[in-house]
Amino acid sequence: MDMSQYRDLFVSEARGHLNAFNELIVRLEGSDGDKATINELFRHAHSLKGMAATMGYDPVAALAHAMEGQLSRVRSEECPFVPALADLLLESADNLGEMISQVESGSETIREAAELVERLASFNPDEVKSEPDAQEPDPVRTSQPQAPAHNFRQSDTFKSIRIRTETLDHLVNITGELITNRYHLVDCVSQYGGNDFDEPIHRLTGLLRELRDEVFKARMLPFAFIAERFPRLVRDLARKQGKEISFHLDGRNIELDRAILEEITEPLVHVLRNAVDHGMEPPDRRVAAGKPLNGDIRLSVTRDKDHVDIVIEDDGCGMDPERIKSKAVEKGIINGEQAAAMTPQEALMLVCAPGLSTAESVSDVSGRGVGMDAVRTAVHSLGGVLTIQSEIGRGSRFIMRLPITVSIINALMVKSGNFEIAFPVNSIRRTLELKPAEIIEEAGQQAVLIDESYVPLRSLARLLGHPPQPASDETLIPVVICESGGSLVAFAADRLRGQQEIFVRPLGPPLSQLRGINGATVTGDGRVVFVVDTAALA
Amino acid sequence: MNQTVMIVDDSLFMRNILRGIVQEKGYVVVAEAASGIEAMKNLHTHKPDLILLDIVLPDSNDLELLESIVAARPQAAVVLCSAIGQEDVIRKALDIGAKAFLQKPFNPEKVIQVLENLGG
Repeated sequence: MDMSQYRDLFVSEARGHLNAFNELIVRLEGSDGDKATINELFRHAHSLKGMAATMGYDPVAALAHAMEGQLSRVRSEECPFVPALADLLLESADNLGEMISQVESGSETIREAAELVERLASFNPDEVKSEPDAQEPDPVRTSQPQAPAHNFRQSDTFKSIRIRTETLDHLVNITGELITNRYHLVDCVSQYGGNDFDEPIHRLTGLLRELRDEVFKARMLPFAFIAERFPRLVRDLARKQGKEISFHLDGRNIELDRAILEEITEPLVHVLRNAVDHGMEPPDRRVAAGKPLNGDIRLSVTRDKDHVDIVIEDDGCGMDPERIKSKAVEKGIINGEQAAAMTPQEALMLVCAPGLSTAESVSDVSGRGVGMDAVRTAVHSLGGVLTIQSEIGRGSRFIMRLPITVSIINALMVKSGNFEIAFPVNSIRRTLELKPAEIIEEAGQQAVLIDESYVPLRSLARLLGHPPQPASDETLIPVVICESGGSLVAFAADRLRGQQEIFVRPLGPPLSQLRGINGATVTGDGRVVFVVDTAALA
Repeated sequence: MNQTVMIVDDSLFMRNILRGIVQEKGYVVVAEAASGIEAMKNLHTHKPDLILLDIVLPDSNDLELLESIVAARPQAAVVLCSAIGQEDVIRKALDIGAKAFLQKPFNPEKVIQVLENLGG
């Protein structure tokens, strides 16, 4: 059997053992030698010995064996863990590090450390102790030209490093620019021809994809990074209000882009706070309603392809769509006619309307009004979708569907008049083509029938403020159907130009004030295309 | 039919080597585990015929894991792997129900020899 195929794995795993070994020795020196640490040290030496022997690296195995032997004596309390032994073990670990570097460089032979093995085997703590002056430099150590501990190679210890987040952001920007540039290059090539370009462009595409994936991977953090404080938050809030709540957190290891985690933290705190404050009934009301005294709030994160769902659900009192509607009518947010036409799903989304309520005035109704508009805005600005589900007396569920990364997204490029705009593919349910006769006109509103339900149809031309092109009865109208707050909305366009990977840049003021637009991208040929926020346009 | 194997060792390096050795002989590696918990989980899902078990794992002491494996799947043959050559550990392991003992460091011939003796 060819053992060389296992060499790289040996090197990386052996280094792992050595790093752990060094760290444990230092810890042991500080803590006066507890048994568990000794056992762990022993285990690392032991594993390394076994690995080296299997590979036939005898000098490594011999030295690790001597270390193991000495640690075994410490373990059985035959020999105390004195500083001189720590020195000797660290020196041995350094020596092993050098041997492993020799293995890594592919050298045929590994330099033996017979002298060190001998010193380990014959180590006597009493001899060291009886030395008159511990300050005197150790004669053996001074015979070495240089302490090997300070002679390590970069690859020995720096397996991972800290990077400033600005650097990572910059890398994303550069990657985005490169992707844009590739589109430009492809355009040029298709214009001026030349089959010679096919192969390099094909390779460039593959490399760019790899680069993008790696850069994004570097920006990912587990959800636990922000979720660690939630259990405490829920507990303290519940305490303050005399409520009994168990908090469950699932999916803490799912990874998201750092920027998304940062933006979503406050909204999550907000929804959790609402769940405790207003969603959960006081214990006496729960018991009266025949529910367990102890309420449950569950925060779960699941990944589905290129997005994650963050779900916060409670088994509290739920929300009543009818009462929310009447509140909204009372506040002048909608009129009675609109209220009558609303589905329960749409009514629930009213809690996100700015100015619906303050906590004081509707805490008896639902109390979800405070700041929910900020929550929805945050989710949308990340290119996500917020959905609210609720059942009176049973509880509520807030679902935030978010992309895993920001900045570089797949978008459908859509043309309307002279404008081209980009729809994030994430927010599109489907596309289709309509005959003008299929458009239903009702009370000045256009709608289309999709899967037996009426979906409001918006003209992009009108939304963008230019006159709609008069369509003949024969032309098919391309339509993009998006999901917004749990219901569908259709957008009529002039032309769908196809899907493309785009690099979205945030807009600065005053453009950032524009409703319905989330950002912009520059196309390969230098045009600026706005990225729509379908939820705001609906 | 080829025998199915689960390899339990906290070292990826060791698992890879063992996998290479047994696969060459036609055994089918259906699962690997780096910890006792993982081993028990895989035991239920993959029901291996043979288990190569390293007794020194971060999350299990002594022969506890061996006991759990033998209790959960008595029909599987467990081969204990470790460099610990102490007679009493071997004897205890065999009492509990391990079928054989493989001492590290091992070469491919030794591994195969131990596995083939099991069949006989």
